[in-house]
Order: sequence, then C-alpha cells, then structure tokens
Amino acid sequence: MPIKTNVLQSILYKIKHMAKSSMAKYVLRRLLYLIPIFFGILIIVFVSTRMAGDPVKLMTGLNPRITAEARERLTQYYGLDQPLYYQFLKFVWEMLHGNLGNSYAIRGGTAVTTLVGDYAWETFKLQLTALFFSLLIAIPIGILSARKQYSKLDVTVTTTSLIGTCIPIFYMGIVAILIFSYSLGWFPYGAAHSLDPSRYPFGSYLLDELWHLFLPATVLTFAELAPVVLLVRSSMLEVLRQDYILAARASGLSERTVIYKHALRNALIPVVTYVGLYFGGMLAGAPITEKVFNWPGVGRLYVEAISKLDFPVITGITVFVTLMVLIANLVTDIAYAYIDPRIRIE
Amino acid sequence: MAPREILKIENLTTYFYTWAGVVKAVDGISLDVREGETLGLVGESGSGKSVTALSILRIVPMPGRIIGGKIIYKGENLLEKTEDEMQQIRGKEIAYISQDPATSLNPVFSIADQLTEVIRRHQNVTKEEALKKAIELFRLVEIADPEIKIWNYPHQLSGGMKQRIAIARALSCQPNLLLADEPTTNLDVTIQAQILELMKNLKKLGMSMILITHDMGVVAGVADRINVMYAGRVCEVASTKTIFRNPVHPYSRALLEAVSHVTVKRVQPKIIPGAIPNLISPPSGCRFHPRCDFAAAECAAVVPQLVEIEPEHYVACIRAKEFMENVKEVKL
Repeated sequence: MPIKTNVLQSILYKIKHMAKSSMAKYVLRRLLYLIPIFFGILIIVFVSTRMAGDPVKLMTGLNPRITAEARERLTQYYGLDQPLYYQFLKFVWEMLHGNLGNSYAIRGGTAVTTLVGDYAWETFKLQLTALFFSLLIAIPIGILSARKQYSKLDVTVTTTSLIGTCIPIFYMGIVAILIFSYSLGWFPYGAAHSLDPSRYPFGSYLLDELWHLFLPATVLTFAELAPVVLLVRSSMLEVLRQDYILAARASGLSERTVIYKHALRNALIPVVTYVGLYFGGMLAGAPITEKVFNWPGVGRLYVEAISKLDFPVITGITVFVTLMVLIANLVTDIAYAYIDPRIRIE
Repeated sequence: MAPREILKIENLTTYFYTWAGVVKAVDGISLDVREGETLGLVGESGSGKSVTALSILRIVPMPGRIIGGKIIYKGENLLEKTEDEMQQIRGKEIAYISQDPATSLNPVFSIADQLTEVIRRHQNVTKEEALKKAIELFRLVEIADPEIKIWNYPHQLSGGMKQRIAIARALSCQPNLLLADEPTTNLDVTIQAQILELMKNLKKLGMSMILITHDMGVVAGVADRINVMYAGRVCEVASTKTIFRNPVHPYSRALLEAVSHVTVKRVQPKIIPGAIPNLISPPSGCRFHPRCDFAAAECAAVVPQLVEIEPEHYVACIRAKEFMENVKEVKL
C-alpha cells in the first residue's frame, strides 16, 4: 500500500490548533469568573458583620465613666457613623490601594495587612507541610492497597484509615501533646517559636521552627492522610476495573506504565476534587488545630477578632481567605483540565 | 497433512475465586487455531469465551486464576513464561480487541499517545517514526484525515471510530494472532457491517484470528471454523459451513434457531428455555442437559468428551451418533 504521510504537517497541526485553543482560554475564562464572585462574597460578609453588633459599645461597656459624647467620637473616629454603602465603597477603595485598615483591638491599631501577613505565613507553613506529606504518603499506600485488594496489607490499611478518619483532630492533638510533650518532653507544648532565643536548639532559629512544627504537622498529616488513602484506594479500584486498563495490559505495557500512567491519571480526578475543596478550607486556618497547639495562625486570629467585633480584622481576613479559596479553586480547575481533556476541550 | 497450528489450547481451566464460591468459568477447554485462519468462538454471555481470550494473554482479572492446562503458542507453553516474557508477547505476537470501544481507550490520553506508546513498547523507533506508523495504521483502518484525527481524545470520536482505533492499536505491531472479543457488539448495525468488512480485509494480511461473539450472523461472514462453547466447555467444533448446514450438538442447533431472520413473513426466533447455569455449582454430566430437549437419563451422569464424528467435525454429546444417523428426523 503506497502511503504518503506527512508527520511534520501533523505535528504542526497539533501545535497550531490543539494546544493553543484549549488551556489558555480555559484559564482566562475561569479568572474572569473570579471577579464577581470575590465582590459578591465581600458584600455579604461586610454587611453581615456590621449587623452583628456595635464594637464601640463592646469596647466601652465595662467603663462606667464613659460619656455619650466620647462614644460618639469613637464611632466617628472609626467611621461607623457613615451610611453602610459609603463604608463599603471606602473599604473597597482603600483595599485597592493595599490598605485593609487598622485593628480596633490588637496592639493599639496594628495594620490588618501586617497581621494577616504574619498569621497567614504560620498557617501556610503548618497546613502545606501536612498536606504535602499526607499526599506523599497517602497516594502510594492507596494504590498499593487497591492493587492488593483484600490482602492482609489492604485490610490493615483500610481499618487503620477508618479509625484515623473517626478520631477528631483535637483529641489526637491533645493525646500527642500529652505523650510527646508532657510525658516524654521531646517537643514544645505549642506555639510556633521559642520566645527566648537562648532556648533555640543549637542556637538555630530554623531548627527551633522545625522543632515547633513537628508535632502539629505530624498530627495534621495523620488526620488528613486517612481520608485520602481511602479515596485513592476506592478510586483506584474503580479505575482498575475499566476496560482500558485491560486493553493497556493486553498491549503488553509494563505493569508500571499501566498503574502509574493509565490508572493513576484517572484515579487522581476525584482526589484532585477532594484536595481542592480541602485546600480552600485549610487556608482559612483550622481554628481547632491552631487552638490545641496554640499556633499563631489565621484561624485563631479570626475567632479572636469575631469575639471582639474587630471589624477591620474580620473583613481583612475574609478578603484574604476568599482570595485564597478562589485561588485554590482556580488551581483545582487547572489541575482538572490538565488531567482530564474532557474538561478542557468541549 | 493437517494445517499448522499457531495456537493450541489443551484442557485450559480458569476459575474465579469469589466470596460466593469458585466460579468455574472455563472448565477444561481445548481448541486450536491454525495459521491464517479465523476461528469463531460462539456462545451465550457467560459461557467463558472472553475468559478464554484473557487466559491466552494471561491477563485474567482478579480473583480469576488459570489453574491448569496448556496454552501452546508456536510450540511454547505460554503458561510457563515469565511475566516479562508475556509482556513481550502481548500486543506484539498476540493482540486483543476488547468488546466495548467506548471504554477500551483511556479517556485522558490522546489517540496519538495511546498508539505510539504501544508501537514504541514493542519496536525500537523514535517518537516521530512511531507517529508516522500510527498515521499509516489510521489509513489501514480507513479513518479520514489521520494527521488531524490522531490528536483527538477518545471523547471526541464516535463509537465506530473508536473501535477502528482499537483495531489499529491491536494491529500496530503486526501480531500473528488477533483475539477479537465481540468487536461489533456495542456498535450500530450499519457501523457493525463496516467493522466486519474491515475485519474481513484484515484476514488478507495473513493473520490468524479468534473472533469471539454471540452473534451467529457475525461468525457466518468472517469465521473459517467455529467453536461452540457452553458454560465453560466446548460443545462442537467444525467448519463454519458444517455448523450452519449440519449442526449436531443440540446447543448449536438451538443457537441457530434463536437467530432471527429478516423475512417478509414474521418468524419468531426460537428461545432456548432456561438460563445459562450458575457456574459455581454447574449441572453434573453434560452442562447443557437441563435445557436440552433431547436429554437422556445418562446425560446427567456422564461428562461428554469431544469426539470426531466425521472428519474435522467434533461434538461433545453422548447422543451425537444418533443425531448424525437421524439428522432428518431430529431436525426441528
């Protein structure tokens, strides 16, 4: 059969038509969606916090000698006497200039941007470490467990994961502190740093940081590990039953290619969804974890700000968390489109 | 002189160890495929046809296991090969087309990726050469605009197109034996005809083929010989002509009568009463006897062996001789 094939032409076609059209357009569209969503969330939070109470009353409630006039002046000082739409527009205007206002309650009016910056870093450090290690451990274990379904290893993994999913993090955290900090004295009770530089192990700030990070990160890793293992396992089991896996095996592909290329790529789709959702919530800081380990993170800051009706901090953290969740969703969407061509090409 | 056999299966036994019990999916079947021939493997769903094909490639999914027999391919027993050796045989020597084109291609990789991957696994070629071969294969299976279509993903293609691609993938390394597991079952009738035409053309490449189907119409057009299976055993083996003109085993006859014909008069196809038996505890003796119109008392006791009742015509039925003698009378 005489065949005239122009491979080069074919490759050129691919570069010209397939690659360009799909991914960039997809990302751009997703980005544009983010803007109205961001402002929508902002309006809801802004209005609802301002309906929650009067911070001036809260601040002055325990002071018997406060005059009505002084209260008036405080209200004016914070701009709370203005109509709500004016407050909001002013806030947006300031925000676009990189200013989220000053705290009512913390250290004589610290800038919210500084506060969020400091606390967010600690949250990131803890949560990303835990997420990284939990995925690193969970994915191979889940795959192994699925490949050896009903074996002793699989039963052990499944049972342990189920137990792990059932234990709440505050319990696991307290037990860990009891054993490793209180009884054995290996790790600090909480916080992210030693206050006194003379207590740094070997005088190193970095080692001190890692020393403080170890226990909460380990507990969080285990808490996140269990559901991911179960998810990877069940998703992998589902994929391994598919015809295309049989077809890949029948083509003589190596077991490694079959599992890690053909099966894993498909099995990861639900895992990406889960991690994406989790990631968003996680950046909001896990207030409970942060409370147990006395961790100076965003979650703890948020709870404290709410209890003091510290409007600028509440709105500031909301801006930050909203942005993070939206970015996490965007990353998830991009990861999705990367993994599954059915999403990027209609 | 008998034609040379490319594949000879002796007493193959594949069981599935499930919670409910041991499913005897393939229970001691023997068959042979000759060089250049197309062997039709026919039977109802659940008769062990697919498991036979998967056993040949040794990719029976869990909890299935090949527990006995011999699969002799080109003089060597495949069951004694290592996994690495088997990987070299799969796709290169013996290729497989699975039943559902919609699911036999991985949805997340482009067609080019999936085809070149197999080509590069078995042939020492560069990416560009593999791509060139893939495009040539597209021409072979009659796909228009191969240079463009090759970059598509499975979801962008129709069922018929996907099955053509699955066939192209199976043919990519010029296998000597092709196992086609119901290649037309999940396609529209018009597309079925096209694919069958394609399969017929492929026979000209000199390849041997096992065509697995439950559709008598499909085997009639393509197969040279037919192997009728029932509940994990072989009932009758003969040339296609013999099976259609002079079937002896009651099951083969029942199968033929169940085929609907397109005629002016409305003829209701005959239904085989009952269902395929539970293979965890199959009937004793001949496995077809509970559904057989001609079952004798001893059918429940004796396991019938394949006997050559005339040259090149094997039947596993203790009453085969009787049926042969009174073919006219017994015929329904």
